[in-house]
Amino acid sequence: MSESLTLARPVAGERAAGVATLDPRRKLQLALAAAWLFDGILQFQPAMFTKAFPQMLGDSAHGNPAALAAPITWSAGFVGHHLAVLTAVFATIQVVLGLGIAWRPTVRLALGASVAWALGVWWFGEGLGGVLAGTASLADGAPGAVLLYAVLAVLLWPADRDVSAPFVAGRFVGTGVARVLWLAVWGSMAVFAALPAARAPLSRTIADMASGEPTWLAWIDSRLGASLADHGLLAAVLLATMFAIAGVGVFLPRRFARAVIALALVLAVMLWLAQGLGGIFTGASTDPNSAPLLALLALSFWPAAVLPGEGA
Amino acid sequence: MGGPGWLSGIFAALMLTVATYCAGRLLAARWWHRRTELDTDGAHIVMGVAMAGMLVPGLRTLPTGAWEGVFAAGAAWFGGQTLRARRGAPLSSWRCLHAAPHLVECAAMLYMFLLLPASVVRASVVRASVVRATAADVASMTAAPNAARFSFLALPMALFLLGYVVWLGDRLTVHPTALALAGQRLEPGPPMSGAAPTPIACPDAGPAPGRRYLAPRCAVLCKIAMGITMGYMLILML
Repeated sequence: MSESLTLARPVAGERAAGVATLDPRRKLQLALAAAWLFDGILQFQPAMFTKAFPQMLGDSAHGNPAALAAPITWSAGFVGHHLAVLTAVFATIQVVLGLGIAWRPTVRLALGASVAWALGVWWFGEGLGGVLAGTASLADGAPGAVLLYAVLAVLLWPADRDVSAPFVAGRFVGTGVARVLWLAVWGSMAVFAALPAARAPLSRTIADMASGEPTWLAWIDSRLGASLADHGLLAAVLLATMFAIAGVGVFLPRRFARAVIALALVLAVMLWLAQGLGGIFTGASTDPNSAPLLALLALSFWPAAVLPGEGA
Repeated sequence: MGGPGWLSGIFAALMLTVATYCAGRLLAARWWHRRTELDTDGAHIVMGVAMAGMLVPGLRTLPTGAWEGVFAAGAAWFGGQTLRARRGAPLSSWRCLHAAPHLVECAAMLYMFLLLPASVVRASVVRASVVRATAADVASMTAAPNAARFSFLALPMALFLLGYVVWLGDRLTVHPTALALAGQRLEPGPPMSGAAPTPIACPDAGPAPGRRYLAPRCAVLCKIAMGITMGYMLILML
């Protein structure tokens, strides 16, 4: 973590007593930690201690290949039999992951554990995001909200293999690999936006988000759902195009890349509205869905003003 | 408040522990002539007691109106401190250095007390249908109380507090000495690999030498516990 520490100039007051300032990667790590902490607190909600929770887990098995669905069904049943204990354990794990990333001595351990946990939840909790079942929907966070936690944990790993990377995400895995991961995420979303099987239920899914939401958010979702129902094909083409542009944006020169990353941030905000802010106002949401993580991912690809080695 | 009774009990016990510890800090600081943030510790005592009462009805002490007055006063105090800090006013050794998070905490307490009746109604509804509810049932159950006009305010406050918790977690190791030297003029020590840099106090600034800060890491842990519990309570009010 020494690479995350930069010494402050001597200034009066406790602000200077901070001594070590946060570099951009550490800030993003802390944002990821806050996301895990938020997930953990959401998991402590009363609705998670009802039969609705294992039922939601079990529902994610539908449509998946039998070899993948059977463990999901079994785990959902197991959770249902030990509901209170396991729900509390799941929530505590996520809180501990958040605190572990925030506390520097355990950041590597926590990031590594978060990858394993995220992949487990992606399978047993999200049914691999419905990718194999053909039910993947952007409104549900396809290709999987929790998968983005794992991607971010890898990209924000506190080690430098490529010090000349033009963005934070490339410092550990390298610029090329980071760009491929970015393209995979946004490219898959472009595909999900365009596929007829995913496009058709999108408007219905968004409209359904309105249930249980505050009035203002329900209004947005119901209007958005109705608009997509009327202009589904056009919206799908537009969305797919914008996601594709965002996907290739990191391969462009720095000046253009910034504009495309800004577009990705805007898309993330729009997507979050379409996702009903992840359903966090319903009291039955386990996470804020994929959009906030996409925004965090976009920030990790924000081109540096001055490349390392370019001076100043 | 909603949630399983045992979970509320755990959080209430945690809050009472924090309140007791902060009361002990005030006494120990006076007894051993050590420095502490009097306003923060005092606020955490009343917050701990109040939150325990909100989580477990049997632990209620004062009427809601009294608590609202207490936290309105607290918000005014920390608001004033925040403004003082922004104006660059000199820092006192017994006041907190980062008043804004405590201002949000007081505002959150005030908010929760003002909206408590609505959340109690919702909690009773949720508890009544805890067994074999479906996701749609739960969504419909919580839909009615969401009509509460200002329930959305809980989200930014909860996010702020969770962000504060994470920031504090980072400070636990980055600034251990800095926490103890709060308010003093500091110069950075040499860079260290994988460990926190060591600040060096200038001898011509800050409070009298020998009055060290009392258990700075424990104080941070109290703030973390307070932030997580308050974040949990705010999320329950969404």
